[in-house]
Amino acid sequence: MMELKVLGCAMLFPLQIFVCVLRAAVRLLTRQKRRDMGADVVLITGGGRGIGRHLAKEFAKQGAKKVILWGRTEKCLKETCDEISLTGTECYYFVCDVGNREEVYQQAKVLREKVGDVTVLVNNAAVVHGKSLMDSDDDALLKTQHINTLGQFWTTKAFLPRMLELRNGHVVCINSILSLSSIPGAIDYCMSKASSYAFMESLTLGLLDCPGVGCTTILPFHTDTEMFQGMRLRFPKLFPPLNPEMVAQRTVDAVRTDTAFVVLPWTMHFLVILKSLLPQSALEEIHKFSGSYTCMKTFKGRT
Amino acid sequence: MNIVAELFVVTFKIMWSLVLAGAKWFVRPREKSVGGQVCVVTGAGSGLGRLFALEFARRRATLVLWDINKEGNEETADMVREIYRKLSPSEESSGIAQELPLFQPKVYAYVCDVSKRESVYSTAEKVRRDVGNIDMLINNAGVVSGHHLLECPDELIERTMMVNCHAHFWTTKAFLPAMLELNHGHIVTVASSLGLFTTAGVEDYCASKFGAIGFHESLSHELKAADKDGIKMTLVCPFLVDTDMFKGCKIRKEMAPFFPPLKPEYCVQQAMRAILTDQPMICTPRVMYMVTFMKTVLPFDATVCMYRFIGADKCMYPFLAQRKESTNNNESKTGI
Ligand SMILES: NC(=O)c1ccc[n+]([C@@H]2O[C@H](COP(=O)([O-])OP(=O)(O)OC[C@H]3O[C@@H](n4cnc5c(N)ncnc54)[C@H](OP(=O)(O)O)[C@@H]3O)[C@@H](O)[C@H]2O)c1
Ligand SMILES: NC(=O)c1ccc[n+]([C@@H]2O[C@H](COP(=O)([O-])OP(=O)(O)OC[C@H]3O[C@@H](n4cnc5c(N)ncnc54)[C@H](O)[C@@H]3O)[C@@H](O)[C@H]2O)c1
Repeated sequence: MMELKVLGCAMLFPLQIFVCVLRAAVRLLTRQKRRDMGADVVLITGGGRGIGRHLAKEFAKQGAKKVILWGRTEKCLKETCDEISLTGTECYYFVCDVGNREEVYQQAKVLREKVGDVTVLVNNAAVVHGKSLMDSDDDALLKTQHINTLGQFWTTKAFLPRMLELRNGHVVCINSILSLSSIPGAIDYCMSKASSYAFMESLTLGLLDCPGVGCTTILPFHTDTEMFQGMRLRFPKLFPPLNPEMVAQRTVDAVRTDTAFVVLPWTMHFLVILKSLLPQSALEEIHKFSGSYTCMKTFKGRT
Repeated sequence: MNIVAELFVVTFKIMWSLVLAGAKWFVRPREKSVGGQVCVVTGAGSGLGRLFALEFARRRATLVLWDINKEGNEETADMVREIYRKLSPSEESSGIAQELPLFQPKVYAYVCDVSKRESVYSTAEKVRRDVGNIDMLINNAGVVSGHHLLECPDELIERTMMVNCHAHFWTTKAFLPAMLELNHGHIVTVASSLGLFTTAGVEDYCASKFGAIGFHESLSHELKAADKDGIKMTLVCPFLVDTDMFKGCKIRKEMAPFFPPLKPEYCVQQAMRAILTDQPMICTPRVMYMVTFMKTVLPFDATVCMYRFIGADKCMYPFLAQRKESTNNNESKTGI
């Protein structure tokens, strides 16, 4: 009897997979239902500069009720906040270093009291140190880990329980394509982003049967912000840096359509597939050819 | 060089490495000798670490054992000595041994908490003084918190990350400079198949293992970019192993016969073969390569479908439940 059941399942399995693939294809082509952001309170970590700032503007534009910014530098937070307030969306900012656990929990409490329950959490804050292992300072290595990976644990732990209670929420992570395909010269970043990717994937699987709560992970390629300033690719024409506005738009859209993973640009899928197929030596040749072994040499980060 | 010519050369090189990789299926490459080399094994006090130590001992390597657990570590050291003792007579009876001065491998055991930077650096300094330069580093120490994210104490999350992930920084930084100087060495990362795909409920463990793999890959590219071909790297990704670590973890009943938990001995044997032939990566069992590949080509929904079919998406829930029960009964060993 059990054998029969297994056999049935096994026969059905390719069909199921096929249906899933087909559905994904259809979803690409047709317009689907989008979440109405009208009641959403959005928290963006690292919302003062770069992609975070564009995200804040985009969420406001798509009609979010309140936008909250976290960051370490008050000046740029204030600028962004003022800019958004001008458009008529309620906007608040708080100084909070996500690498500091106590501070995250404390600011989360302040936030809940002053503004209300967060329904969309965007983990965007990140730093990159951009040196090879032996050249890196121990504390710098740890700092990247604390901000990029552990920071995400703390923010999620602070806000997810309430989302689950309300049965309404979304956890977003701005990750990086480097999480799936490492390059030399940014070992701290690759490691922390890979961790953060795994965290999101595991969380996404865990939240599958929680109605109303979803996850989105964005994996962008090199984006035109201050973060990777000075990084020089070998074929900038073929792989131009992404526009942060575009990344923000795609992120908000993915949240609204409840899409779990988005790779930007989609051509990077090939890189990931190649990586799982080719032997290491072949991969090294590709890396060498595409210039990813030398791109971090000109990097001038800010950390 | 002309870009077209270069593209041509690269394509050729890729083809060539594919051919070489294919050839390995038919002609097994020779295993290198580790006799007399110094191997550091972290987390050698039990489980896979102990088995790695024993395998290296059988090949006459000098062993440096690190563990936070002193008794376990001493036990391993005794087992290693036992192996050394059994080894020596066979060499004495052969004629060559009389002429050559007999090399007697030794074992050194240190108590070291790899999650603590100072502890790693000071123990590494001791190793340099007592033993000298090392040739192999096996980063094996690992822990799992065994709680759902929202119920997990923050300290345990930090601990998992520190032991499984950040420890690689410290151990590697302690030993790599000497390796770079000599352009000789081998670094092994014991990750997990949960470093290639994830499952629900063990966010911290998955995060730490993905991180370890990210570290490993970035470092191996770094070494390649610096033309340090003498330093080899091997990534070991075992599937569920039959040690105490994940007791209770279950996949779907009907699929279980296809994905049995690995025997630790088998897992280590496979890993040893990969290490000794300088293979960059080994997944045991092989079907894991397939799962990883499927994961990259399928859209997320289909991947979920696949996980559900195997029962892998919730496989850790029984393990977590068991952990919780034992914590309630105060039997947890997570406090170490
Ligand atoms: N730029 C790229 O090429 C690229 C590519 C792929 C993915 N990404 C990802 O996209 C995200 C945003 O990058 P970006 O280009 O916008 O970088 P960015 O311009 O450097 O901005 C980073 C933001 O994070 C904040 N931040 C840093 N550390 C923080 C901390 N400890 N606590 C709170 N906030 C902190 C910064 O604000 P303060 O300094 O004021 O705190 C800043 O607002 C990151 O997650 C990054 O990994 C970027
Ligand atoms: N058991 C599995 O199912 C499984 C599957 C895949 C990967 N792995 C990985 O294999 C490795 C070994 O696993 P195992 O099954 O032998 O586990 P184990 O628990 O039997 O052994 C781990 C050893 O590491 C030591 N250790 C823990 N924290 C330490 C610290 N801070 N400093 C120094 N030593 C420390 C422990 O004392 C113990 O001796 C781990 O990295 C684990 O993640 C295990």
